[in-house]
Amino acid sequence: MASQSQVLVEDKSSVRILTLNRPKQMNALCSNMITRLLQLFLAYEEDPNVKLVILKGQGRAFCAGGDVRPVVGDIVQGKWRLGADFFSDQYSLNYVMATYSKVQISILNGIVMGGGAGVSIHGRFRIATEKTVFAMPETALGLFPDVGASYFLSRLPGFFGEYVGLTGARLDGAEILACGLATHFVPSTRLTALEEDLCRVGSSDPVTFAETILNAYTQHPHLKQHSAYHRLHVIDRCFSRKTVEEIISTLEKEAIEEPNEWISATIRALEKASPSSLKISLRSIREGRYQGVGQCLIREFRMVCHVMKGEISKDLGYRAVVIEKDKNPKWEPRGLEEMKDNMVEQYFKRMDEEKGWEDLKLPPRKALPSSIISKL
Amino acid sequence: MSENRALRRAHVLANHILMSRSPSSKISLTREVCLQYTPPEVNESYGFQVKEMRKLLDGHNLEDRDWLYGIIIQSDLFNRKERGGGGKVFVSPDYNDTMEQQREISMKRILYLLEKGVFQGWLTETGPEAELKKFALYEVCGMYDYSLNAKLGVHFLLWGNAIKFFGTKRHHDKWLKDTEDYLVKGCFAMTELGHGSNVRGIETVATYDPRTEEFVINTPCESAQKYWIGEAAIHASHAIVISQLEIKGTNQGIHVFIAQIRDQDGNICPNIRIADCGHKIGLNGVDNGRIWFDNLRIPRENLLNSVADVSSDGQYVSAIENPDQRFGAFLAPLTSGRVTIASCAIYSAKVGLAVAIRYSLSRRAFSAVANGPEVLLLDYPSHQRRLLPLLAKTYAMNFAANDMKMMYVKRTPETNKEIHVVSMGLKAVLTWHNMRTLQECREACGGQGLKTENRVGHLKGDYDVQTTFEGDNNVLMQQVSKALFAEYVSCKKRNKPFKGLGLVHMNSPLPVMPTQLTSSILRCSQFQKNIFSVRERDLLERYTSEVEELQGRGQSREFSFLLSHQLSEDLSKAFAEKAILQAVLNAEAKLPAGSIKDAVGLVRSMYALICMEEDPSFLRYGYLSRDNDGDVRREVSKLCRELRPHALALVTSFGIPDAFLGPIAFNWIEANAWS
Repeated sequence: MASQSQVLVEDKSSVRILTLNRPKQMNALCSNMITRLLQLFLAYEEDPNVKLVILKGQGRAFCAGGDVRPVVGDIVQGKWRLGADFFSDQYSLNYVMATYSKVQISILNGIVMGGGAGVSIHGRFRIATEKTVFAMPETALGLFPDVGASYFLSRLPGFFGEYVGLTGARLDGAEILACGLATHFVPSTRLTALEEDLCRVGSSDPVTFAETILNAYTQHPHLKQHSAYHRLHVIDRCFSRKTVEEIISTLEKEAIEEPNEWISATIRALEKASPSSLKISLRSIREGRYQGVGQCLIREFRMVCHVMKGEISKDLGYRAVVIEKDKNPKWEPRGLEEMKDNMVEQYFKRMDEEKGWEDLKLPPRKALPSSIISKL
Repeated sequence: MSENRALRRAHVLANHILMSRSPSSKISLTREVCLQYTPPEVNESYGFQVKEMRKLLDGHNLEDRDWLYGIIIQSDLFNRKERGGGGKVFVSPDYNDTMEQQREISMKRILYLLEKGVFQGWLTETGPEAELKKFALYEVCGMYDYSLNAKLGVHFLLWGNAIKFFGTKRHHDKWLKDTEDYLVKGCFAMTELGHGSNVRGIETVATYDPRTEEFVINTPCESAQKYWIGEAAIHASHAIVISQLEIKGTNQGIHVFIAQIRDQDGNICPNIRIADCGHKIGLNGVDNGRIWFDNLRIPRENLLNSVADVSSDGQYVSAIENPDQRFGAFLAPLTSGRVTIASCAIYSAKVGLAVAIRYSLSRRAFSAVANGPEVLLLDYPSHQRRLLPLLAKTYAMNFAANDMKMMYVKRTPETNKEIHVVSMGLKAVLTWHNMRTLQECREACGGQGLKTENRVGHLKGDYDVQTTFEGDNNVLMQQVSKALFAEYVSCKKRNKPFKGLGLVHMNSPLPVMPTQLTSSILRCSQFQKNIFSVRERDLLERYTSEVEELQGRGQSREFSFLLSHQLSEDLSKAFAEKAILQAVLNAEAKLPAGSIKDAVGLVRSMYALICMEEDPSFLRYGYLSRDNDGDVRREVSKLCRELRPHALALVTSFGIPDAFLGPIAFNWIEANAWS
């Protein structure tokens, strides 16, 4: 029952409106919600009566991410394999959305973080509003941008994806529209009308129909004066570097030449983040650039299992346990130089020594191999 | 009777086509349904870990390569285009740009890569690791656009290395860092209108003037104008000038000088004239120019003096007495050029094959049975025969190029000769192979191969120069034979066993070859090695005896070489092909038993057997009987069938990002859709 109410379903003729309904937890995705969404999405794909699927959130968040607290509990108790099931389901959902044959429209009217990006960005249309706050904050939590982020971040202009993924920088609606994470921008006051119009899809071609409606509603918001997106050239110069160390040293050089608040905040964010997270995140985004979304998810699943098992770093469990209270996290390995290449390498390997462990098995899709590209 | 046989063969062929891949029900195409693109990945599977195979092929600096691929793909400067839906991005130069635009954008791209730190340490860092990294990044640049690669080659490998190898500390301090940072832009003025491969014959003269302590450089006649000098037409500020050195009326042979040719604003310096070489069949991003020197005065210090020097009062001093050896020392840096040319040729062939094979796994033509589905191009035995042997050769040569790079970066005075000879042979054979492969791939792509966006066709024009620069291939191959001749004669004369140049096998008795060649014999590595050795040995003996016989009849040694050109050609080919086979065997031997080793084994057998099928020497000189030759041919056909299921995995293992291939390698229907 609980899972039913955590995802509200509205039937509007050939449109289904799904609302993530866990507002106190900012709609963080728990295991039940993920299973329910997967069920619904797969059923709608088979159902000839369904043409559009709209996904939105109750309250001030679209979705603040995957709910990893139970996972952390499992890890602390030495049962990380239970956590693996959670991620396996979540990534499968991400994959189904990325390869979805019908139209998914996500309304990002509020906070979109981590797992929230995973259930929206892979879909066909993503609507930003003036309330959108987007971030991939994983490196500050001892994790890495997963949920297929190595696929969609790596495809952002220049090296903006590395910037967003490594620093956890917050982006607003105008910014995610500019960089391509969102496809449209609609002021929140017009969302009700937009939904109503979308529900009139009838027998028309859903993609063309949705596109026409959305194009009618969309606006071209101005980027705020201090937007990171105005600094693409600096971001490219620094975040294109081969290693995290070089990225930071290039930023520091820039900071000396032209000190400003943005660059100091960027350096601070990197200094605060988990060194192991930074290094595996950079490599993940870089590898993702040449991989299909399915391959990205399979690789991310290997990585997340290594993170949970904690052979090299226990940053995920540690950070989550003392979450929010600790302003000066003590990471292990403590510094970037201590996180050696061969340690990074470990995260990308299969866990063959782990009994019964298997690579992520992506749900079968219609004539689509796992390497085939998604829609972003 | 003959009609019956023809009919039977047609049946066999039809059965074969139908059996070789049973079309899966998912992709059954009927006449009523429009063609749909099915990615090769849907119906092909990988019989081995492509990631591991890629490690083997790229050999070194994979992360650096991937980093640079990303740098190129993520920048708008590299003519990014979305094609084929699904956000598929491609990068390749816009060949519709004028020659002038191509030159400008190439320079901009270089400066962009400079800013990203791509060239960091290319001249100021030493040691095998730094050199391998440089090779890796250099190869990636060449896969994007050979113009980019050629411009970098001129600046770093010719200008930069000349300073590094021929200069001394004062030159290194003054130029290397500035070169790495592109504060100076160098070119390398060696070739002249009248002299290319024959460097010794160049006519530019530098005379020393002790009163002012300067060299005076002159272009004495039109044939002495420097020609094809990359970067000279527009961009270069400085030039390495290769010139005869004349001291007090005595010619000391060719020497190497630095001359500034443009001022800081890019104006051509006084006493220098520069003209453009004009539009070319490819590589128009490189501004090749012609240079004349009219009493150009340069300071005495601008003689690169590691090999020889001139004192202020005009005394010529050199540690190397013998002018021949001195000349050899001067040409040493060209070796690094040849090494990179050969390895870049293989990367180009890889692009061609990846495009053509991916296309052949998604494009169909003709049905084998009435109303049946059309047949995938690569399921035609003839199409397999066109592409798969070239694929196997590319693999084999890839291993050979890797070995050569390793030998080069670990070079010692003892290995210099070997590197010199091997790099000449491989440069010629690998660049010829690339040209042939590109042509076959272009044809295999049909009309789509003609579009520059699909890369294969245009690569031909761009890479053609490889068969000529840094030594004309034919001249290089003659040098290889001459070197083998010298080795043979010297070992025989001193009655010493053969040691270098892969001739050790000559010390053992001639291997006995089986008369009946079964499939397992043909695939046996020892057999393959033996027959390649037999060919090399016999041709070397024939060549030396023919040359010696001609000399005995009173011909000069040089003229005897020229008259023996047919055997020389056969021999140098035998040498290079055996070196390549050895490289595959080395790579294979290092692998643990498993699917990768098996795949490399198949590739090696295909390489060995296709060489045997293609080189007429085997029949001409009787290393194979006519029956044997038939067995070889049948085995090649069998190997094609066995390699066919691995085709996709083999090209995926090249590790080339999708963006570096053409739209026809992916969803070519969507890429060509109306919208």
